[in-house]
Amino acid sequence: MTVKPSNKTSQIDQEILKLCNDKIDSFLDYNDDISVIKREAFKRYSKKGLPNRFEESWKYTNIHKKLQNIPVSDKNYPIPLNVDNFINSFDIMSKIKSDNDTLIVFMDGKFIPELSMLEYSKNGMEINFLSHGDVPRWAIELMINKHNVNEDPLFDLNTILMQEGVLINVSANVKIDSNVYIIHIGNNDGFFNYRHVINVGKDSHINVTELKVSNRVNDALYTSSVLWNVEDNAIVNNVKYQAHNQSTVGFNQQYADVGSGSIFNSFTISSGSKLLRESRNISCNGENSEVSISGVNLLDGESHIDTTLVVTHKAPNSLSKEKYKSILSDRSRSVFQGNIVVDQIAQKTIAKQSIDALILSNDAEHDSKPELEIYADDVQCGHGATTGQLSADSLFYLRARGIGEDEARRLLVHAFISDVMEEIQDTNLRNVLRDVMNNMLNRVSKGRLNV
Amino acid sequence: MFEIKNLNASIQDKQILKDFNLKVNPGEVHAIMGPNGSGKSTLAHVCAGREEYEISSGSVRLDGVNLLDLEPEERAVRGLFLAFQYPVEIPGVASMTFLKSALSAHYKFNGKKELTIPEFMKLIKEKSNSLNISDDMIKRPLNVGFSGGEKKRNEVLQMTLLEPKICILDETDSGLDIDALRLVANGVNLLRSKERSFVVITHYQRLLDYIEPDFVHIMADGKIIETGDKNLALDLEKTGYNDYIEKDI
Repeated sequence: MTVKPSNKTSQIDQEILKLCNDKIDSFLDYNDDISVIKREAFKRYSKKGLPNRFEESWKYTNIHKKLQNIPVSDKNYPIPLNVDNFINSFDIMSKIKSDNDTLIVFMDGKFIPELSMLEYSKNGMEINFLSHGDVPRWAIELMINKHNVNEDPLFDLNTILMQEGVLINVSANVKIDSNVYIIHIGNNDGFFNYRHVINVGKDSHINVTELKVSNRVNDALYTSSVLWNVEDNAIVNNVKYQAHNQSTVGFNQQYADVGSGSIFNSFTISSGSKLLRESRNISCNGENSEVSISGVNLLDGESHIDTTLVVTHKAPNSLSKEKYKSILSDRSRSVFQGNIVVDQIAQKTIAKQSIDALILSNDAEHDSKPELEIYADDVQCGHGATTGQLSADSLFYLRARGIGEDEARRLLVHAFISDVMEEIQDTNLRNVLRDVMNNMLNRVSKGRLNV
Repeated sequence: MFEIKNLNASIQDKQILKDFNLKVNPGEVHAIMGPNGSGKSTLAHVCAGREEYEISSGSVRLDGVNLLDLEPEERAVRGLFLAFQYPVEIPGVASMTFLKSALSAHYKFNGKKELTIPEFMKLIKEKSNSLNISDDMIKRPLNVGFSGGEKKRNEVLQMTLLEPKICILDETDSGLDIDALRLVANGVNLLRSKERSFVVITHYQRLLDYIEPDFVHIMADGKIIETGDKNLALDLEKTGYNDYIEKDI
């Protein structure tokens, strides 16, 4: 299959198309489901290429300007030594991980068994890997379903290039008290592509914490998509923490289908990054489903973080809540696009969105674009967005009591995110992440983040 | 001693304070009364270090040190306290954290050993009891959801903890009912001492029934135009400010 790159496309567009072209060759002769969707994805992707700013959902984010080339590895750093060393080297992990937690570690696009702790089929939880060959039928079906309705070229790109990922299936009626950690480490330069698929059975409960960290300053580019299927009356608590350096470019996608009576909570902390696109597409498919999507973005330097959410209510009496706070310093830029769609059938929907940004420097920029598409007539939908600096009145009040300017700014910056952190359900995890945030914010309030 | 000399201040090219002078000896209570727009609140904010005002000349000295050369926090730790007319609500900052930070800054400046957490808690409990401030209030974020009376009592609590040399009360009586007013005034009276002085800014004589001043000044158009004892305030209550406004024009 050969597609000739057009001369009008950017350098990165051409490089990625060429890479896809090369990769797809090895899937030409097979007719298994994954090879078929990869070929279809390639067909679609090659017509469009990377999105550009003429498309409404990419109006504020210019990939082509932020990303010129696919990073290539010129060094080969070895993997860190062993599990204990590894855990100790990540402060957060050492504080939150308990003995019976499941640890799934990926590095530079590969699963690293030496650093992982897995108990297969633990309490009715089955774990497989995309790279291991026989991908279970349930995972293939979820992938095909998403593939068939997908309109995002970056998801197609992820489908074409996906090389590794974890496939977790939680059977019905299983309550997993321990935590499942999915950890991505950037150790070397390169371009990595992950696809994770998680199915949560009826009446089941799972906590999944995703950590994405760079082990050293590296030029990494990655795409990562997580497909969630949450069956009826299940509970999911998902927390994601990603601390990237200033040279990492990431395209994250999260898809979730939430069944009747189920609760899906997802909280994300993102910091740093040269460019980070967080695309989330969440559907309340069943009656009485509840979705909470929230997070904090910390930006400094030239960071650019774009959060683009679509929450669709497809059944009556469902509830969705979105709450995001961004803190920007230096010349950073954050984008929030939040679309709430309420289908005609979804009467009595309650949907709320609140987006706040605190800007600490003259050159930072925040763009906020709420959208409501409502086709039902008996709903409560609301959105609110604020963008501002620290309040001069509050700052003066604190200083007038003897509190120094730095300390006063620090208190107010902390105060800004204090309520959104409450969205993290697990108290232990919340406290640890609060400490992590405090450390970062202490630097941010003085105008330095340096993650 | 607290002394303001020939103070001229303006905001957005509008001059508010015009050669303002005031001398307050230790232990004295001075009331400043005056019509709306006479510059009373500006005076309070300029003394505390609000940045929006431009000061063209003059000095504000506390024990010889010109406060105008200092940042707001340095003025505070040196002993100036402004009780705000509208205390700011700060969601996300716990009252306790705020009080601890403020107290630590004062202790640090005065070379005093910082209190341990139990010592601090004991102190807060003791001081807040006398002002009828509940534990629940202290546990809330700073001033958030406080009634008008609670906010003002919280100001007096801070004043009690920080032990300033000069307290400027900016219309502390505004928005208070008679019971709350009495409670706040009692708090202030408990703090009166030979070393500590007060400048009480108010519209109404009512507050001065509870906090008895040594001097009453009438301020109009950016300066003090008449000074007397507490009877001046009583006269004013009968005649109103009109005489002074007309006289000034």
